[in-house]
Amino acid sequence: MLEIKGLDVKYGQIQALRGINLRVGAGTIVAVIGANGAGKSTLLMTLAGLLQPAAGQIVYQGRALPAKAHEVVARGICLVPERRRLYANLTVKENLLMGAFLRHDRDGIAADMEKMYELFPILKQRIKQYAGTLSGGEQQMVAIARGMMSRPQLLLLDEPSLGLAPLIIEAVFNTIKEIKKQGTTILLAEQNAFQALEMADQAFVLETGRIILEGEGKVLIEHPLVRKAYLGIKH
Amino acid sequence: MFIQTLITGLAIGGIYALMAVGYSLVFSVLNFSNFAYGSIIMLGAYIGYYSLTQLGLPVPLAVLGSILGAAFLAYLNEKLAYSTLRKRNASSLFFMISAMGTAIFLENLVYATIGSRFYAFPEVLTRDNITIFGTSMGMLDVFAIVFSFIAIYALHYFLQNTKLGIAIRAASYDAQVSQLNGVNINKLVSLVFVLAGALAGISGVFLGMKYMVYPTMGWITNKAYIAAVIGGLGSLPGAVAGGLILGVLETFVSAYVSSVIRDVFSFSLLIVLLLILPAGLFGKYLEEKV
Repeated sequence: MLEIKGLDVKYGQIQALRGINLRVGAGTIVAVIGANGAGKSTLLMTLAGLLQPAAGQIVYQGRALPAKAHEVVARGICLVPERRRLYANLTVKENLLMGAFLRHDRDGIAADMEKMYELFPILKQRIKQYAGTLSGGEQQMVAIARGMMSRPQLLLLDEPSLGLAPLIIEAVFNTIKEIKKQGTTILLAEQNAFQALEMADQAFVLETGRIILEGEGKVLIEHPLVRKAYLGIKH
Repeated sequence: MFIQTLITGLAIGGIYALMAVGYSLVFSVLNFSNFAYGSIIMLGAYIGYYSLTQLGLPVPLAVLGSILGAAFLAYLNEKLAYSTLRKRNASSLFFMISAMGTAIFLENLVYATIGSRFYAFPEVLTRDNITIFGTSMGMLDVFAIVFSFIAIYALHYFLQNTKLGIAIRAASYDAQVSQLNGVNINKLVSLVFVLAGALAGISGVFLGMKYMVYPTMGWITNKAYIAAVIGGLGSLPGAVAGGLILGVLETFVSAYVSSVIRDVFSFSLLIVLLLILPAGLFGKYLEEKV
């Protein structure tokens, strides 16, 4: 579905990503794990069209990825950014409507809105509240729901577990599995390596802008390097 | 006397409110003071003046001409002076300098072509008075109040209830994320300038009718900045409230104290308000919980 070849991304002089090769198959969950500053967010922001590659190719569904963020969404790729970044000055409902900005099917939007309330029942009581007043976990749910409102084929999730309590993380990850079941492909960037690897079909370990390991999620959990660096298990 | 002063104050306040709303709209999305806004208002007034005197258009058409003309000029203003800065992610200081340059350029363009003469609008509304409950009030004042109210309400409705309106509010909070949701930010910014320009056209015509038309008339937008700051920068309800408060207070000071100290009063009010309420009356520190 998505194929990245030899991707370099720079912030001015600083090279954030070097020679990234990565494939995302349709209907799978692909996890990118790595420490702070490894380049996970840079990768997702480049895919979403917010950053431009310095070199390399990104091919999505057989065609080159468009250069602008709003064109990328139109092609069916939606990024749920790190730290959720809801519109705090808009209500929950308006945030969800913004997610469906490019759609014109009134009935479809209303139906999807109902689906989101099914996926996240707590949101239904919050539709008229300003998004800035929600708790961190609720905000993450709204952020994911806002992303889903564009009906993406590929959902990019940047650290959905950031700053959440373990129980809430569990709920968020269960939702991600549910979204996959409904047919959306997911590319997930996480520091929370164990849970991310456990549910990932395919995983990549990013370190200072390079991919140092790749393989099936369940295989990578057993890898000594991953166990030591990201899971804190010593032998 | 009291009610007449109040009506005049509300009329002036309504015009201030229009200007302050247009100015706040741009501020809320691009986060810089668009000093060229005054020049757009000035050009809107000239368009209205020439539509009435040279083309002999009826008043409603002349107002419409000003609205369309000023909206188009505001659109050009953004495309020529700001869009390249936006693409380079320039800091707001550069936008402000570019805006001042545009303002001075437009003013001097008018000096060089039309000249520095003051023009009075033909007396289309100014002479008529209507009497309600024993108080006689100027037709122009009544029109200014009604028109500003309608324009501001229409804008409010648009921002609250339409898809594009919600997108403008979303982009004013986080322009980058709005692009992730599919907003073409270039088009959205153009739309914001067109809306602000339309308001500038209306306020230009009314200012021209109330006072005169001349190249530096745009600096009256200083009052709109004060109004916007009183209300809380970037807040549209705040801009409306700030404009009305400033207009009414100013008129009362002119009527009951002295018209000479009117501007001294306005700017003192600004300083005092900034000391006590730096965020303005409606300025929100809307912080996101993390």
